[in-house]
Amino acid sequence: MAKAQLQSDPSSMLPLTAVVFSILAALAEGEKHGYAIMKWAALAEGGGLAMGPGTLYGSLDRMLQSRLVEETGTTDDERRRYYRITSFGSRVLVAEAERLRRLIGAARRKGSLERIHA
Amino acid sequence: MRQHVLSFLVYERALVLYPPRFRSQYRDQMLQALRDAHDDRKTNSVRFWLSAYFDLVRSACTEHMMTLRTKVFKQPVLVHALSLGLILTLLGGVAAVTMQQMLRRGADQPQIDMVNDYASEIASGTNPDDAIPPGYVDPERNLQPFVIFYNEQGKPEASTGYLDQSVPTPPAGVFSYVRSHGSENLTWQPRPHVRIAAVVRYLNRAHPGFVLAGRSLREVEKDESVLVWMTFLGWLLLVLLLASGARALQRVERLKQVTT
Repeated sequence: MAKAQLQSDPSSMLPLTAVVFSILAALAEGEKHGYAIMKWAALAEGGGLAMGPGTLYGSLDRMLQSRLVEETGTTDDERRRYYRITSFGSRVLVAEAERLRRLIGAARRKGSLERIHA
Repeated sequence: MRQHVLSFLVYERALVLYPPRFRSQYRDQMLQALRDAHDDRKTNSVRFWLSAYFDLVRSACTEHMMTLRTKVFKQPVLVHALSLGLILTLLGGVAAVTMQQMLRRGADQPQIDMVNDYASEIASGTNPDDAIPPGYVDPERNLQPFVIFYNEQGKPEASTGYLDQSVPTPPAGVFSYVRSHGSENLTWQPRPHVRIAAVVRYLNRAHPGFVLAGRSLREVEKDESVLVWMTFLGWLLLVLLLASGARALQRVERLKQVTT
């Protein structure tokens, strides 16, 4: 029961690693197979993360267990399976984005970022 | 082209580094993602393969650690047994060190009394030759305590302790330390295999100099060695008992699962 409650609370999953955040953000755009996720994450808007197959599928494995993502079941090739974000995964993604937004907002208000740039 | 085929083959073989469950679930998908990435690559081939192999080794280590963590946490008996084993090891270590220290400090006790007695006598004006009775103790052969009086320059003037007919003298640093600090208890090794529990006290009245009382640590070190072995055997016995207990409990758990 407690575990189920913890699972349904997005804040229990925070903070996310950069890889998990990028994968969730990639899948928030629509379902994708492994290489499409890697390609999206490598883009500047995807976080500019160069991840290899080992890192990707290791993270996907844990994200499947945490029910952040799921397999779609549709495939054009047995070797190319598609993944999509779950509703819990979407809530976690939003919560992490909000956390980061608050963090950056606070740093901006205090002028920390401007001081570093100067 | 041939180089690419070979690199791919090596990568495919190296997937054996992953835990079996992970490998059977993601092997084909990983190879396909790698093929797609290679066809689409923007960097040169050497750099591409280096980063692919680095990713493989790093993530294989991560997956093994995750698998191990899951296995351990799925077996609470194992976690408890490991924690208890760690606590027992720490407690055993602390007890052994404490007992060893007690044995070593106990070895100083007669010398402390002797140094105090002779120092008071010499400080009250008695000549060191008269204060220290005649005697011959060779710490290499005898276990009895001995006493030596050294003058201000560190030269022996009266002694009951001898090594091969001559009076042993501690390093000069000991005298300068005792001169500034008053007294010191130390383990002194005048020659290999001869270790002495020595107590030195500085006198600055009547006959200025140093009174040293010592005795061989041979028996104390034998006791220490016995203590170390007993502690080790006790620890080993407890760990074996713990391991058998944990194993038995695991079997009971498995039987329960089967019957339910």
